[in-house]
Amino acid sequence: MHSFFTKIFLWFWLLIVVVSATVVVSAGAIRSRSSDRERWTQLYSYLVGLRGRHTAQLLDRDGKDAAREYIESLERVDTGNYVNNKNPMRDYLFAQGSREVLQQSVPPYLQEILEKMQQFPEGKPRLFEKQRIAAERIVGLNGQVYTFVMPIPEPPTFDQIYSFITKDIAGEGLIYLGTILIVAGGFCFWLARNITSPINRLRLAARRIAHEHLEARVDRSVLVRRDELAELGQDFNRMAERIDALVHAQRRLLADVSHEIRSPLTRLNLALGLARQRASAESGEYLDRIELEADRLNKLIGQLLMLARVESGVDLEQKNVFDLATLVQGVASDGDFEARGLQCSVEFVHTSEYLVEGAFEMLRAAVENVVRNAVRHTAPGTKVEITIERSESQQDAVIRVRDYGPGALPQDLPLLFCPFYRGSDPARKATAGAGLGLAITERAFQLHSGRVSAANAPGGGLEVRLELPLMAKTQETSKVTLALAPSH
Amino acid sequence: MTDHLKRGVGGSIRRLIVAMKKSHKFLPRRILVVDDDEELCQLLSQYLTQDGFVIEAVHTGSAGVERTLSGEHAMVVLDVMLPDMRGFEVLRRVRAQSSIPILMLTARGDDQDRILGLQLGADDYLPKPFNPRELSARIEAVLRRAAPDPAEIKPGASEDLIDADLELFSGARVVRRRGQQVDLTAVEFDLLKRFTKSAGLVLSREDMVRAVLGREFSPFDRSMDTHVSNLRKKLGPRPDGSERIKGVRGIVYIYVLSAPARR
Repeated sequence: MHSFFTKIFLWFWLLIVVVSATVVVSAGAIRSRSSDRERWTQLYSYLVGLRGRHTAQLLDRDGKDAAREYIESLERVDTGNYVNNKNPMRDYLFAQGSREVLQQSVPPYLQEILEKMQQFPEGKPRLFEKQRIAAERIVGLNGQVYTFVMPIPEPPTFDQIYSFITKDIAGEGLIYLGTILIVAGGFCFWLARNITSPINRLRLAARRIAHEHLEARVDRSVLVRRDELAELGQDFNRMAERIDALVHAQRRLLADVSHEIRSPLTRLNLALGLARQRASAESGEYLDRIELEADRLNKLIGQLLMLARVESGVDLEQKNVFDLATLVQGVASDGDFEARGLQCSVEFVHTSEYLVEGAFEMLRAAVENVVRNAVRHTAPGTKVEITIERSESQQDAVIRVRDYGPGALPQDLPLLFCPFYRGSDPARKATAGAGLGLAITERAFQLHSGRVSAANAPGGGLEVRLELPLMAKTQETSKVTLALAPSH
Repeated sequence: MTDHLKRGVGGSIRRLIVAMKKSHKFLPRRILVVDDDEELCQLLSQYLTQDGFVIEAVHTGSAGVERTLSGEHAMVVLDVMLPDMRGFEVLRRVRAQSSIPILMLTARGDDQDRILGLQLGADDYLPKPFNPRELSARIEAVLRRAAPDPAEIKPGASEDLIDADLELFSGARVVRRRGQQVDLTAVEFDLLKRFTKSAGLVLSREDMVRAVLGREFSPFDRSMDTHVSNLRKKLGPRPDGSERIKGVRGIVYIYVLSAPARR
């Protein structure tokens, strides 16, 4: 999946996870900074007095065992908390003359500290940062002076925090992590949706317009957002309206112009008829020419009007279901009649029904244009062959119209269906019509969700392929040679 | 006249004859042109006068309806595009009262106009721009068809029982189905006559265009299909539900008589 949605979703999710991880890591890093280390050490200047006074009280009141038990319990707690400390986690209580009151063995480096403490006033903590020792002289219940010495452990490192997360709260940690992932995931999903859904709507609208649905607009859910995407949607709609108006104006102009030319041309024909009635023999030749040109104009305007009508799509409002093979049969029979005058023929054989839904007249005109085109181009004495069959997917009816004419140049093939395109070969222009017939065919089939294409057939001649979707459910109807003609 | 005959001469042709008698101005070749293009009407008038027609031109739909119903004309040439109402509306109003032959001028490339025109009861159509020779020939053909053959106007003589529930009176140009008169245009009437003459035989569209429309068949001309389709609709199916006219659309047609019931 390379969709915008997936990208946004994954990126933001990843971002949130990375940010959370960074916060955890930097929290560890902050704790091991030097200022924190000082603050940590300062803490022990309070702790040393507290522990010292308590130990001295226990000793004076309850005896050595109680005091030692207390110190041992402190050691267990400290060792548990500060697993990585190098120094032994043990507190000491000294009486006057540097004698350890609780009969603990004393590491030798403490002697130096004890000496330094001799002259130090009571009740004030002293920190030996280098040795990481805190000491205080404490006045006991009976007035004697003790010296309490305790190690200052290293502040907790990142490793310790890490081990705290993984080992000490392993199960809960996973739950926290999962919760963060799920909440972040939900948030990112919403974010990605929020950004991509209007983009998708824009894309759909654009695609519909590209497929000639000029009335397509971006819907209101995009426009009410009041952000840049909503503005984009509004601009898109304005653009679509403009295109719609322009295309319609152009089509209307085409139709209007054709209609307007119709009237003077009709008058021209009448004037020509009148002139002919009084014409002398020598002017007849020119009148013939005028009539030929007027006739060409007639045909051109007829096709322009037909194209305008097909493009307007008005005929699609009255669709009916009919057998495409019968339609082709009718056109083929007319084509055959026309071809006889040119010493050619049109052959069409079919065995089954191909039910389609659409505008009968429009589709017949579309097929007719292809067949007449083939009749015009096929060589004298040859046959225009028309076949109809189901496509491989069984979804479409495929009509093939093949002539035995000169065919088309390969570079002309894709352009055959463009209006007024008559091919680049001047020899073939002579036999061409107004140049709109195949354009009408293409538009008519497109409006019915069909396709048209042309190719040079093996052995010479052009083969035009017309595809039209069949009705979704084609019931098997009994074959009748004389099928009932559909009524309008 | 017997009651039977009175009923026989009822309908379209009777209305025409009454109108003819009522109007002293009626001329067999007087033609009404309804078109808003005045210059065209002028040229048309000149051209058709040469062919022996008498032309009257009006330029609006309402005037067209009024003049058509005056009964002074043998036929009407009616343009689809009129300033005040569509030619179809004129046709509809006229057909409510009269069966005067009407030729429609339609837009070329507009099959729907052609179909609608013929469905509403126009006798023929010609797409604009047209060749004036063609127009003149079509007018002649329509007039010929509309004029009752004098040989056939013999009361009661030409009554044909053509189907179990269908009667055709050639002289009166009347068709009845189960006693009810069916309003047919001149073309549809001739078409039905042609069908009944050769019931059970396959008729090609070519032959029918020549015999009924009185002109040469040109391929890709669909008017015959529309006429047949209209006729089929007006006649409806037989009491047993079967179609009277069968065929491959646009190629051949066949009028099938009902098989005699087995006893």
